Amino acid sequence: MIRLLEISNETLFWYFLASNCAYLLMLIIAFFTSARHQRRLKSQRLEWIQNAPLVPPITIIAPAHNEEASIRVAVRNFLELDYPELEIIIVNDGSQDRTLDELRDAFMLRPVRAVYVPEIPCARVLGIYRSDKDPRLIVIDKLSCGNKADATNAGLNVATSPYVCVIDGDSILERDALLRIMVPVLADPQRVVAVGGIVRVLNGSTIEGGQLRNVRLPRRPIEAIQVVEYLRAFLIGREAWGRANMLTIVSGAFGLFRTDLIRAIGGYRASSIGEDFDLVARLHRHLLEKRADYEIRFVPDPMSWTEVPSDLKSLARQRARWQKGLLDVLWPNRDMLFRPRYGRIGSIALPYLWIFELFAPVIETLGIATIILAACLHVLSRTFFIQFMLFGFAFATVISIGSVLQEELTYRRYKDWKDVALLVSYCFFEHFPYRQLHMLWRLRGLWDYFRGNHAWNQPKRKGLVSAGVS
Amino acid sequence: MTSIFEKLWRLGPAAFVLKAIAAAIVADALLLAFILIRRAYRRRYFARRDARVFEWRQKWDALLSGEIPYETWRNKPFDRDIVESMALDAFEIAETEESARLLNFLRISGLIEKRIFEARKLTGWRRMRALVALGRTRAPEGIHTLAEALRDPSLEIRLAALRGLGRTASPQAADEILQWVGECGLTVPAMPLQSALIHCCAERPQALVPYVQNAKGPLREILGRVLGEVATPSVDLDVLQLAGDEVDELRATAARAYSRSKSGSAFDVLSELARDQVWFVRLRAIVSLGKLSDPRSVPVLVRALKDSNRLVRLRAAEALLQLDTPMVAVFAKVVETRDRYGIYAYLTALDNANLRAKLAADIDASTDIDAVQKERLHAVLETGALPVDPRFHAPEKNPVLASRR
Repeated sequence: MIRLLEISNETLFWYFLASNCAYLLMLIIAFFTSARHQRRLKSQRLEWIQNAPLVPPITIIAPAHNEEASIRVAVRNFLELDYPELEIIIVNDGSQDRTLDELRDAFMLRPVRAVYVPEIPCARVLGIYRSDKDPRLIVIDKLSCGNKADATNAGLNVATSPYVCVIDGDSILERDALLRIMVPVLADPQRVVAVGGIVRVLNGSTIEGGQLRNVRLPRRPIEAIQVVEYLRAFLIGREAWGRANMLTIVSGAFGLFRTDLIRAIGGYRASSIGEDFDLVARLHRHLLEKRADYEIRFVPDPMSWTEVPSDLKSLARQRARWQKGLLDVLWPNRDMLFRPRYGRIGSIALPYLWIFELFAPVIETLGIATIILAACLHVLSRTFFIQFMLFGFAFATVISIGSVLQEELTYRRYKDWKDVALLVSYCFFEHFPYRQLHMLWRLRGLWDYFRGNHAWNQPKRKGLVSAGVS
Repeated sequence: MTSIFEKLWRLGPAAFVLKAIAAAIVADALLLAFILIRRAYRRRYFARRDARVFEWRQKWDALLSGEIPYETWRNKPFDRDIVESMALDAFEIAETEESARLLNFLRISGLIEKRIFEARKLTGWRRMRALVALGRTRAPEGIHTLAEALRDPSLEIRLAALRGLGRTASPQAADEILQWVGECGLTVPAMPLQSALIHCCAERPQALVPYVQNAKGPLREILGRVLGEVATPSVDLDVLQLAGDEVDELRATAARAYSRSKSGSAFDVLSELARDQVWFVRLRAIVSLGKLSDPRSVPVLVRALKDSNRLVRLRAAEALLQLDTPMVAVFAKVVETRDRYGIYAYLTALDNANLRAKLAADIDASTDIDAVQKERLHAVLETGALPVDPRFHAPEKNPVLASRR
């Protein structure tokens, strides 16, 4: 028994060390990549893209389900984006509130008999509308299938551009976000098949006339901690994975894809729980099996601002769903593991996700349980335990502050000193008890998945109201 | 076997763990300090810069005319950067006269020479920045340096040089780019090359023609695409040759170029290209026919409504709506095709252009068609369904034959 506890503690120690070292390595890569990106931008001006001839058109697809509170602001934001050739498709995914009426009133929609070819299967489309105010806006009214993937597929069937940008119906894009996300595509349109942009936390900020005006850190700790998480995930994780061309997730809240490729793989899998991760995994599989020379890039400056859950219950549901989504994608793609034909994705990216993302809640929970047990059985040095915890705390804080530093060095969206001070303080406080709670939510997600609960639970949202829309 | 905890603990009081804790805490403190110091520094820097920009803006005319001696700001990097970026920003939106004044200022103050020097001697991102800034000056003396950088082994440098040359928008830059692609082939991605050439060849598209004729493979297609974009009636004859080229992209180029042609043969060439085997050649030809606004295009466009490609059908419908011909007559012809996809494409374009109500009113007001036909057209307009063709009516039941059975 004692030996077993010792092995367990050792495993936890090495697991923890490996996980943090991996993150430290990613932080270092992210610093260099970001600096390189900033320098590269110095020889490029966005208005040149805006005025360039032959820029490929983009279709924005934004599924909206019961978004009456925010849809006007979001659509106005999309219409004000800087990009020469734009088509905007809002998919009203069986909303039971006034989402469609809001759109109809605000943008003078009229029904059109567009040629609709359901190339990718999706729930029945009830009608297609075009705006009289701005002909670039198309609204698809469809029955709900209970998930975002199906709604996005309906949008894909109507899209006419070579590139689609998939975003959430309650997200706000920065005015130059599309120009920025197209920079890698325009530099190498043959190889770059998808680009992910950064998603930031909208809660607490102010929107005026469809534009983000004043970026502030949310006041509620549960929202502010998510800011640190998002910074860490995007500015460190995705930046580093993207640099090594091993990006496995392009966020569903803001991602650009080549339309022909999405259609070639049959669009989004309607039954998937984590539809964004699933799409990118299938894209990798499709292209690697064809032995294509391609890149899926992450660009850290085109920003999408989205609302995050503001209560524990919604956050728990969201995180449980993410964990379910992870398993839902990793399990069907287990045949890609360590197979030479799947290259770096099969030998590095997916094993990392299995070990440090999927198994993390299980290993950490078991580890903590055994540490407690060892302490009870007096086989654990109390002094060492405290030191180990302190070390862990300080090491993890370095990573979190590193992500805040990364934001400071590059984008500096939080102008106020107080916000930065608060953000840094959350880097210290997120480790207890938020981290432990987070682990339990993720465990719950796995448990639900094994019990057959594959429902796509949409978290409760306040709409852009939380962002002080005016 | 001893546990990892024991091994680490045995290292003594100055143990690894203690060191690690100390290192991590120091790292935290350093990161924090860095953030705070950097914030303070930047705040001060931008306040200073803002004040300086304001100061120079007040003295802008004196600065440009040389009343303020150049030495007062040239030797201070902080001031030089501000003045240069102000001048280049002004250059982007300047009219001819103002451009000449700004160029003269950049020349006399030695800023162009400095950029040329940097573009030749520096490396990495500094060189890239210098190349683009040099291009933004649009100074002819910078073109040679930019062209030299096109031969650099680094792709990033080549791209920066290409962007710089594109910004000059001058025929000399076009010659340099074309000469380079002629020598080295396609060593940069297509999009930046196209953009640069479109800017530089707009004045003199003839420069492209020999290269389009002699280039090979994807480069020829790219150059063709550029020619299609910048072609003017002056290159009609050269473009005509491309209409019969074996490369699909070049036939598409010809179709695109002919949308701006003033030649009498444009309609014939485009009608021929609208029958091409390749869908995007047909697409280009249909779009160009719409732009030509020649009433003779109606039959060609109506035929294109039956095309196997959805985009060709849609563009043909849009082109039909652009024509200056009576809508009712065109709609009657569309209905006569009895092609469900074609009729739908036309109705979609009609809806998109918000012309449905106008067509309905035109049908009512038309004196060229009888009441039955009006009703028929209205029915198609409302339902989108094919009208019943009397030729295909089922014969009335013959009572004699029926009784025999």
